[in-house]
Amino acid sequence: MERSWYWRVGLIVAVALLSLYQLVPSWFYFRLPPAERNGDAYDKSVPRWGPNAAKHLNLGLDLQGGIHLAMGVDVDRAVKAKVARRADEIAEYLRNKSVPFASAAPADGGMRVEVKTDQPAQVKDTVLEGYGQELFASEVPGGVAFAFREKVLSDFKAKAVEQAEKTIRNRVDKWGVSEPDIKRKSNNQIQIQLPGFKDPEKAKELLGRTAQLEFKIADDENPVLDKLRGGTEAEAGGTGTLPVCPHNPDGTMKLPLPETGCWSVESIELPSGGQRQATEVLANNRAELEKAIKAKVAPLIDPTKNVIGIGEVTSTGESGFRQTWYRTYLLRAKTELTGDYISDARASVDQSGAGQGKPVVLFQMSPEGARLMEKLTTDNMHRRMATVLDDKVETAPYIQGRISNSGQITLGSGRSYQDMFAEANDIALVLKAGALPAPVTIFEERTVGATLGPELVRKGTVAALVGLAAVLLFMVVYYRASGFIADVALVLNGFLVLAIMSMIGSTLTLPGIAGFVLTLGMAVDANVLINERIREELRGGRTVKQAVQQGYDKVFWTIVDSHVTTLVAGVVLMQYGSGPVRGFAVTLIIGLLASLFTSIVVTRAIMEYFTRHETARLSV
Amino acid sequence: MQFKSFDIVPHGTKIDFVGKRHIAVVLSLIANLAVIAWAIPAIHGLNLGVDFAGGTEMQVRFGQAVDPATIRKAVEDLGFKDAAVQTYGPESEHSYLIRVGRIALMDEGEVKRVVDAVNAKFPVESWNWNKDIGDKIDFQFKGALPAQAAVQAAVEAAGVKVREVREEAGLTAGTRSYAVITQGIQDKVERELASRFADAKPLVERVEYVGPAVGRELQIQGFKAIVYAMLLIVVYVGLRFDFRFSPGVVIALIHDAIITLGYFAFSGREFNLTSIAVILTVIGYSVNDTVVVYDRIRENQGKYKGKSLADLVNLSINEVLGRTFLTSFATALSLVGLLVIGVGTIFDFAFAMLIGIISGTYSTWFIAAPMTIWLEERAARKKAGPAAAPVQQARAAK
Repeated sequence: MERSWYWRVGLIVAVALLSLYQLVPSWFYFRLPPAERNGDAYDKSVPRWGPNAAKHLNLGLDLQGGIHLAMGVDVDRAVKAKVARRADEIAEYLRNKSVPFASAAPADGGMRVEVKTDQPAQVKDTVLEGYGQELFASEVPGGVAFAFREKVLSDFKAKAVEQAEKTIRNRVDKWGVSEPDIKRKSNNQIQIQLPGFKDPEKAKELLGRTAQLEFKIADDENPVLDKLRGGTEAEAGGTGTLPVCPHNPDGTMKLPLPETGCWSVESIELPSGGQRQATEVLANNRAELEKAIKAKVAPLIDPTKNVIGIGEVTSTGESGFRQTWYRTYLLRAKTELTGDYISDARASVDQSGAGQGKPVVLFQMSPEGARLMEKLTTDNMHRRMATVLDDKVETAPYIQGRISNSGQITLGSGRSYQDMFAEANDIALVLKAGALPAPVTIFEERTVGATLGPELVRKGTVAALVGLAAVLLFMVVYYRASGFIADVALVLNGFLVLAIMSMIGSTLTLPGIAGFVLTLGMAVDANVLINERIREELRGGRTVKQAVQQGYDKVFWTIVDSHVTTLVAGVVLMQYGSGPVRGFAVTLIIGLLASLFTSIVVTRAIMEYFTRHETARLSV
Repeated sequence: MQFKSFDIVPHGTKIDFVGKRHIAVVLSLIANLAVIAWAIPAIHGLNLGVDFAGGTEMQVRFGQAVDPATIRKAVEDLGFKDAAVQTYGPESEHSYLIRVGRIALMDEGEVKRVVDAVNAKFPVESWNWNKDIGDKIDFQFKGALPAQAAVQAAVEAAGVKVREVREEAGLTAGTRSYAVITQGIQDKVERELASRFADAKPLVERVEYVGPAVGRELQIQGFKAIVYAMLLIVVYVGLRFDFRFSPGVVIALIHDAIITLGYFAFSGREFNLTSIAVILTVIGYSVNDTVVVYDRIRENQGKYKGKSLADLVNLSINEVLGRTFLTSFATALSLVGLLVIGVGTIFDFAFAMLIGIISGTYSTWFIAAPMTIWLEERAARKKAGPAAAPVQQARAAK
């Protein structure tokens, strides 16, 4: 035999062994009854010497079932946000038109915009001139109230749910779960079914995160910060009933903090170069802090100019335990930039400064976002910029230089490195996939069975095996020895496809099986082509050895062209298609590559072995 | 020694495929147009499954274990289309999620009756009923807001049971309205299921609409992907063979996709995601089939210089006749099991695929390659056209 033959046989044996090895987790997965597959039983049964246990073939919702989540979209909250935005727009609009008014702010639980003015008629006419399509007005004491028309609101709500559905789909995709089933329900809910039963907690966390990222500037120069000081400085005009936060002799915070909340000061550097003592309010948990803010802080601030941001602080307490408390930041009300401008994000490790070695989220801004960010950082040099993720101030560092196209989010400390890195990963994923337009709540979480039903799945499996056996038998009957060789290649082809699909952890559904059937059909076709060609060459009077050589040589480009044409289509479907189309394309591509390998390399090596002598005989 | 083999298709056939292309094209055109016409919603339309059209979902709890297959059968017997039954929660609960094609939770007549009844008692300023939500009617009253219980009594007097009367904060200052949520279909389903599963005591816990799994956006995205894929096939075939060959491949694959769609259009079987997969599979198969014949034409072009394209095409199709037939036969064979034992979606899957395979084989012989000849002839005529014109002018000048 030629030298290259040994190389090829070596390759074939290696590929075959490797595919069997990759199928080990799947074998142990499918050996278990369906109810136990996704629990600890699987993790225990899969042997340690095998490949990564998480990479096994998964069955889709139609064949196995999975978890079912119903998520409600808080559309009222989205409406309130829209009303608040519209209030800003109206204020801006009235200012441009030079119509006198005192204030424009959300009212009536945030459902209406109330404009305080002594010229109600003029304000009403002007606003309706600009926004009459969407708003209607009614006069209230001291001004005019504007509300959205019913039609506008219901469209907006529908849009919000639609947007939420899209975002959730995007996140599921980015998370790498294939073949989900995501549907909108009529009551502002979204129903999600994910194949397999693993890790519902993770699913809930990832899909439920709103991921509203906002950048706000800290209003550290505001004199109102002094008023927040209670106790001894009550005479300064503050509410005067919050106690001072107790400190330990060594200067650390004495925990737990008073339940009512307390105040403390921090030294802030001002953009002018000076320093000041800025007051912050602290409490043990978010609920307590929110209560304190509502009672003591909110009455002092002008909601059109400032908002209070809440952040988490962790430090090592007296006894060496890490302890957490919550603090306030005085921020400008205006959201300078949002996560909408983020084009990419990933988890990384901080390379610089104080947080060295800690997990962070790095993000890239879109070109428009980069422009806005550059302007924002230039205008606010040396002020603090708060990164607010889902209503929590993650960090508020000083702006030290111009930032444009990229930035990083430092996470609250105090947890293990793994936890923080996992969270950084989650945040990066949701930032990339986009924010939900409104918060969502999970109403239901259940396991669900296969949509096709166990008896259909059983019957389908038997039927598919019958079909496969029929094809294998046909090949042997028709082409005899060559047919048997083709069968060996076909079986190897099947293993190869399943092994690659296990390796990438893909999900097999009924449509996926269609793709699989097609590739088996094409593998059969390749073998038919080869054998028919060999027959043709034999008819032409060549010896068996020559016929085999000629047959394979001549058919080589036929097989390559027919496979590559389909492959081209498969790659496009994978790139641009989504959901089920994509799953189909992945199976198709894997199958085509496997078929190319088995028909061109595997069967040829076997055929060459049997026809190595000039006088060899072959039944074809 | 003379080589002997058993061939299903004898070698050396001389069937004139090219000569029959006119009949074939007319036949195919008729078949394709019929499918397209039939699939147009205004004429007949496809029976779009829950995947595309959305559906109605019921959560039903039984008092004892019930076989999901029996439930599916019972639900379909009750007149619901395309039922899918999924166990819901742990098996010990005997809860099932039953998804069926869209059903009206309330019809317009019922809604009108309810509105009239309420209006008679409490003058209604405006009301709103969204067909997509189905069981909810919003009322805004002219006068003072009546008591919730009174509204409920009025609605139930009209013969529609009420699940909840919910107060809705109106957006206009001062006005308040009610949302009346009825449970028309819920009782009906429960009664009907109870008549079938008397021992199991079915309890319908909720009935609601669900949207499509493949919404408009995903549909558009998928469609775009397929168009791009076809364009790339055109380019690849053009580069590897000849650009005159490209349209044939694409026309053949469109032909096969439409014929396969015909199964769903004419049988009225549910068209769902699996159907899409079948059509994509048939397209892949059709391309493969056609390319193999093209490959032979390319080879013969080099071998027999001077032969007309029509002869070359005929010769090539005949030479690979055995292979084309055998491949189709083998692929069809793999479907036998599914055709015999398969039910529901699985049977549709196998049968549509079978039709696609037959169509793919037919289109390779009669559509793809002859199409190339037609294009060739057209190109030749075009060339001849401008060349002939100066001659005529020259004659006129004389």
